[in-house]
Amino acid sequence: MKQPLVQIVQLNLQYADQVVLSDFNWTIYAGENWVIGGKSGTGKTSLAKTIAEDKHPAHVYYVSNWYQFTNLEGDRNFYYQQRYNKFQTNDTLTVYADLLHFGQKHGLDFADAEPILEALGFQNCKDTQLIELSSGEHKKLQLVQGLWLRPKLLIIDEPFTGLDQQSRVNLLDIFDKIAEMGTSLILVTNEENLPTCINRFAEIENGKLRVVEHPADFSKDARRNKKPIPYFLQQAPSFTNTSVVELRNVSVRYGDKVVLKNVNWKINAREKWLLQGPNGSGKSTLLSLLNGDHPQAYNADVWLFGAKRGSGESIWDIKEKVGIISPEMHWYFDQNATVWHTIASGFYDSIGWFLEVKYEEKKRIEQLLDFFDLLPYKNQLLRTLPLGKQRLALLARTIIKNPPLLILDEPCQGLDVAQTNHFNAVVDELCANGNTLIYVGHYESQIPSCIEHRLLLEKGEVVEEVTI
Amino acid sequence: MANYFNTLPLREQLNQLGEAEFMDSAEFSDGVNALKGKKIVIVGCGAQGLNQGLNLRDSGLDVSYALRKEAIEQKRDSWKNATDNNFAVGTYEELIPTADLVINLTPDKQHTSVINAVQPLMKQGAALSYSHGFNIVEEGMQIRKDITVIMVAPKCPGSEVRAEYLRGFGVPTLIAVHPENDPEGKGWPYAKAYCVGTGGHRAGVLKSSFVAEVKSDLMGEQTILCGLLQTGSILSFDKMVEKGIDAGYASKLVQYGVEVITEALKHGGVSGMLDRLSNPAKIKAFQVSEELKDIMRPLFQKHQDDIMSGEFSKTMMEDWANGDANLLKWRAETGETAFEKTPAGDVKISEQEYFDNYLLMVAFVRAGVELAFETMVEAGIKPESAYYESLHETPLIANTIARKKLFEMNRVISDTAEYGCYLFDQACKPLLTDFMKKVDTDLVGKNFNEGKDGSVDNVQLVQVNEILRNHPVEIVGVKLRQAMTAMKAIKTV
Repeated sequence: MKQPLVQIVQLNLQYADQVVLSDFNWTIYAGENWVIGGKSGTGKTSLAKTIAEDKHPAHVYYVSNWYQFTNLEGDRNFYYQQRYNKFQTNDTLTVYADLLHFGQKHGLDFADAEPILEALGFQNCKDTQLIELSSGEHKKLQLVQGLWLRPKLLIIDEPFTGLDQQSRVNLLDIFDKIAEMGTSLILVTNEENLPTCINRFAEIENGKLRVVEHPADFSKDARRNKKPIPYFLQQAPSFTNTSVVELRNVSVRYGDKVVLKNVNWKINAREKWLLQGPNGSGKSTLLSLLNGDHPQAYNADVWLFGAKRGSGESIWDIKEKVGIISPEMHWYFDQNATVWHTIASGFYDSIGWFLEVKYEEKKRIEQLLDFFDLLPYKNQLLRTLPLGKQRLALLARTIIKNPPLLILDEPCQGLDVAQTNHFNAVVDELCANGNTLIYVGHYESQIPSCIEHRLLLEKGEVVEEVTI
Repeated sequence: MANYFNTLPLREQLNQLGEAEFMDSAEFSDGVNALKGKKIVIVGCGAQGLNQGLNLRDSGLDVSYALRKEAIEQKRDSWKNATDNNFAVGTYEELIPTADLVINLTPDKQHTSVINAVQPLMKQGAALSYSHGFNIVEEGMQIRKDITVIMVAPKCPGSEVRAEYLRGFGVPTLIAVHPENDPEGKGWPYAKAYCVGTGGHRAGVLKSSFVAEVKSDLMGEQTILCGLLQTGSILSFDKMVEKGIDAGYASKLVQYGVEVITEALKHGGVSGMLDRLSNPAKIKAFQVSEELKDIMRPLFQKHQDDIMSGEFSKTMMEDWANGDANLLKWRAETGETAFEKTPAGDVKISEQEYFDNYLLMVAFVRAGVELAFETMVEAGIKPESAYYESLHETPLIANTIARKKLFEMNRVISDTAEYGCYLFDQACKPLLTDFMKKVDTDLVGKNFNEGKDGSVDNVQLVQVNEILRNHPVEIVGVKLRQAMTAMKAIKTV
């Protein structure tokens, strides 16, 4: 008889007063490779964590969607701009030291990690400190560890989030290889492009496992009724200058490491740009120059809204004109903010809400809550919602002040196809009213249709600038 | 140089000690304008120096760093901190003569030599800022009469000053103008603009004086903040080991317990901290802390008296002159305690367990906070100042203990605080000998509620709650905490 890898019998799981799993049964055998998909908020992540709980990592290992590292003093109180501020002491580990530590702990040979690092385009990051990694690079680090460990059962939550195209193709390949070598997989994802080794599909329905034949059979989140965009967002934002962004020969380096090299970029009011490049190509750093978040902007030839950086403006003067969202901002967002407070903070560009909101602003918050179908959740803590809903709340925060410049750095990470299409349609509609747009997205199928220009970065250099 | 405070007539001593006004946010409506276009030169680029400078520049101000020649030539950390963040860096000779505002953010002990080097280079009518008044008040440094002397003191570590600013908030800040050095009347506009530049105006600002800041700061750090946390931690650990509790568990409970317990203090004051206990445990903690207050009151008073008379700073400066002989000896001793040498065990302790199994620390913290506050207020310091220097800072110090125990805590705080901490610790332990003999594991190491049915006397509970909630530190705390509701939790556990 086949020995099961994991057997779950009559599992019950509650989160606060909400039943997640009830009388849940599942047996996983060697040779099976599962995808768990379906609607958001059904308990996929809770299930994945529960399976791995109290198991030996060589038997079952869980890779979360986001792993919060600590610094050398055990502190994880980071802020999203921290990787741009340099301080000699109080550092985090380097990627190499972190991997070495992981390898020692689990008795692994470093030579086995090298091919995975290479396949994911991560070998250049060895000397990078954890705090300096972008969200895509953090994802890769977590993947490398799981794939290197090769447990009997490897569970990965949203394995493809934030990965560039090439890494993703290579990752599919690695999954097939390790499956062949005897590791069973559970991937929690709704992606359609899956490794060929996947042979079982299931979702969670009313707290129980529902096995399906094909990913097409997964339940979908209810189709969204497109509501009319609130009136205040139909107004054209005002520009004081036709030039919104101008970078002249801008370079950014940390010690010997060059992150951006001789970048020139001019963005005029109302233009719609797509910014692309592999993980680690310098996209986040480039955007941080435009949002007042990067100290090196003071010595570079950076012009924002017609004024040179360092000519007496404060970062709050800049942020007032910019609506920004990025995976990093999401991960480091105020843990104690409710959905309502999250959106309110968009008026003051704060991470969390501190100031009194005016009557007119309160009305706008309500309108946007309604527009994104978030009204029932407005008093809930942001972090307690499913990722997709958290994203929507942060997107509402980004657009609430109808800013002249929208910087949307992978805004649809964590959203399903329907939500992505819905949000991109909103972006199209907003931008038709005259907002300037910089959009970052790895996949052509997931970008708004209003895009007119494209800038491609590779290893910190602009390799292509085209009008679409 | 003569102790400045001791040169003042009594009425002026009282006047300056009693200066404390919680400022209305409308007072900061002019933003950073008073410093706009002015040249700001920061001396020192450690945690406070760098992070304040980053904030000031991000607020649209012109900031550069003056470092000693050797620091630049040898590319020391301070030089790297400044240049890696793209600040202009120069020697004192290059930058100080151009400065409209010189901000001194070097360690206390270097103030005299820094000021002696900087002052002759400063231009006529420039301003000089401190973040701590020891040099002016205790060492009696005289600043040229044309120079304006101000203080801006964020009441948090430098890393927090930066983190809170970038979140769109700030940290509570104390500002002051030295009455002997405000020739043009620009002291307050400068101090306020500087405070806005660091984000402090969003989290509550206390208008204070150099004298009030020094006398309250010294008192707080020696007694409740560092001294008592050290004494209480060591005694608790030793007691648990003596009574057969696993040393790894004891080490973890002590190292992280003080942080978990004072996190409740930060949000809800002393009564909020005691509210985390069951009713019988609360009454017990109340009784124990009353006893502790009676035992330790004379020691708190002695520290305050020595601070007021200048006796403390005199003795400490003698040790400075003696190559820090005492300080280094005591520091080495702290590194050798059993608590320091026992690593935290690999055991899970839930958040509530830190309260239930460490009732003794709850009692220590209540006794220490209230005693420090009461003693300061009796000495003429206003409740607002006393609050910041006692209750407000306790969780911050507790956080340093959670990171790397007491040796690390003493390394992170100033040498002045460290010296005072050891003085207190050495005097406090013998005072508590008899008290500690009576302490058993129900107060430290095991759950106090175990085997008890949870019932209490109504009248007694009401009385205890009233005493806790009506203490003056709670009254002023409610007001001051309203201004900083958005402070983020610092969590290591």
